[in-house]
Amino acid sequence: MRFWIVAAALFAASGAARAQSCNTQAFEPCKACHALTKDAGQKPGPQLVGVIGRPVAGDPAFDYSPALRAARDKGDIWTRERLDLFLGDTEAMYPGGWMGSPPIRDAKARTDLLCVLGGP
Amino acid sequence: MRRRHLLALSAGALAAPTLITSPARAAVETRELNGYRIRTFNVRPGSGSRDVACNGDGTVWFCGQRDGTLNLLDPRDGGLKVISLGPGAAPHGVVVGPDGAAWVTEGGQNSIARVDPKDHRVQLWKLNGGPANANLNTLVFDKTGTLWFTGQGGALGRFDPRTEKMQVWDAPRGYGPYGIALTPQGTVWYVSLAGNYLAQIDLASGTPRIVEPPTPQQGARRVWSDSQGRLWISEWNSGNVSMHDPRDGSWKKWKLPGEKPRCYSVYVDDRDAIWLTDFSANAVVRFDPRTETFVSFPSDKSGANVRQMAGRPGEAWGGESGTNRIVVIDKPQA
Repeated sequence: MRFWIVAAALFAASGAARAQSCNTQAFEPCKACHALTKDAGQKPGPQLVGVIGRPVAGDPAFDYSPALRAARDKGDIWTRERLDLFLGDTEAMYPGGWMGSPPIRDAKARTDLLCVLGGP
Repeated sequence: MRRRHLLALSAGALAAPTLITSPARAAVETRELNGYRIRTFNVRPGSGSRDVACNGDGTVWFCGQRDGTLNLLDPRDGGLKVISLGPGAAPHGVVVGPDGAAWVTEGGQNSIARVDPKDHRVQLWKLNGGPANANLNTLVFDKTGTLWFTGQGGALGRFDPRTEKMQVWDAPRGYGPYGIALTPQGTVWYVSLAGNYLAQIDLASGTPRIVEPPTPQQGARRVWSDSQGRLWISEWNSGNVSMHDPRDGSWKKWKLPGEKPRCYSVYVDDRDAIWLTDFSANAVVRFDPRTETFVSFPSDKSGANVRQMAGRPGEAWGGESGTNRIVVIDKPQA
């Protein structure tokens, strides 16, 4: 039991340190629709806590577009690489998705955002 | 294919190269539904055709948010002019100004853009305050010729084209300012998607006065005025269309038909019919306030995603951002 408490504390500490080392400004434009906590209340888009590694369309509280639901149904997972491609041009990856953000063409901007979303 | 580069130079404004590609034609398809004619113009793959604005001569501006362009469609022959707004451009909203020019919320460069109606010269004015990235959204001219605009990053601003003076403020509740509208009485209102409110802007001071809609966490996304000055609001989270009458402070609301509607945009036409878009139904939806009934116009392609509508008498226009098409619905007289 004590081991798991210590492990959890270390994991939380590493997550906090990682967040601090990221350029948190990268997530600013996303905040109008998304949150990185589960207790942020209803937002226009899904919450993104732990998004890297979870299935596409993986927030059970959000009713996703048919395009993203189809991706989930065929087993797509938000790997870092998939998310990088998605942020580079959402329409190219999942045409007809509801998110209205323009492509993030700048690779460094995407890297900074991916750092905030789940780690470098 | 002929290409021409123009460089705009203007006192107090940044210059941007303009790329005009010609000739180009958009193929049109026509179908009928519910007694209306629906025409779709296949404009440009990859453009992300979204917000539209109608010119008096019959042509229609639309934003290519995905490829950083403003485009001019002539529906009479499908003619298409493509104007690059500069490196990193990602235009969101467009209106026709009192000077006849297209005015654009150019979010990619955090600027207000003007595209000249004759030579298509592009001028840009960077935002000079508010959040570092305003995430510019929508704009409207008031009756004195001042341009008011919103930014989802939490910005509210105004720009006077005569003096080139710009002011940007932090919006109440931060993130969220989205649609903005002018009433026949001359008042200017906007809604906040993340802030869940409607607000009237004091045109002298720029200070917003929040009016709370009756549905909590409704996600007010866009707003348009009818001929009486009543504000019609598309609610993304609730799936409602709501109406606020400033004359008596009253509200009414209606749920769009279907399962889990997602009401994205609203436009009120010259006959006070309410044109809505519903992403869940993949449809444009017409609401008649007199009979309180909805008529749905589903797209013939999946994921159409019409994010804004505008029009001219008898015609309702929108951009299918997911299919790179422009759609117009009308009822031609026999």
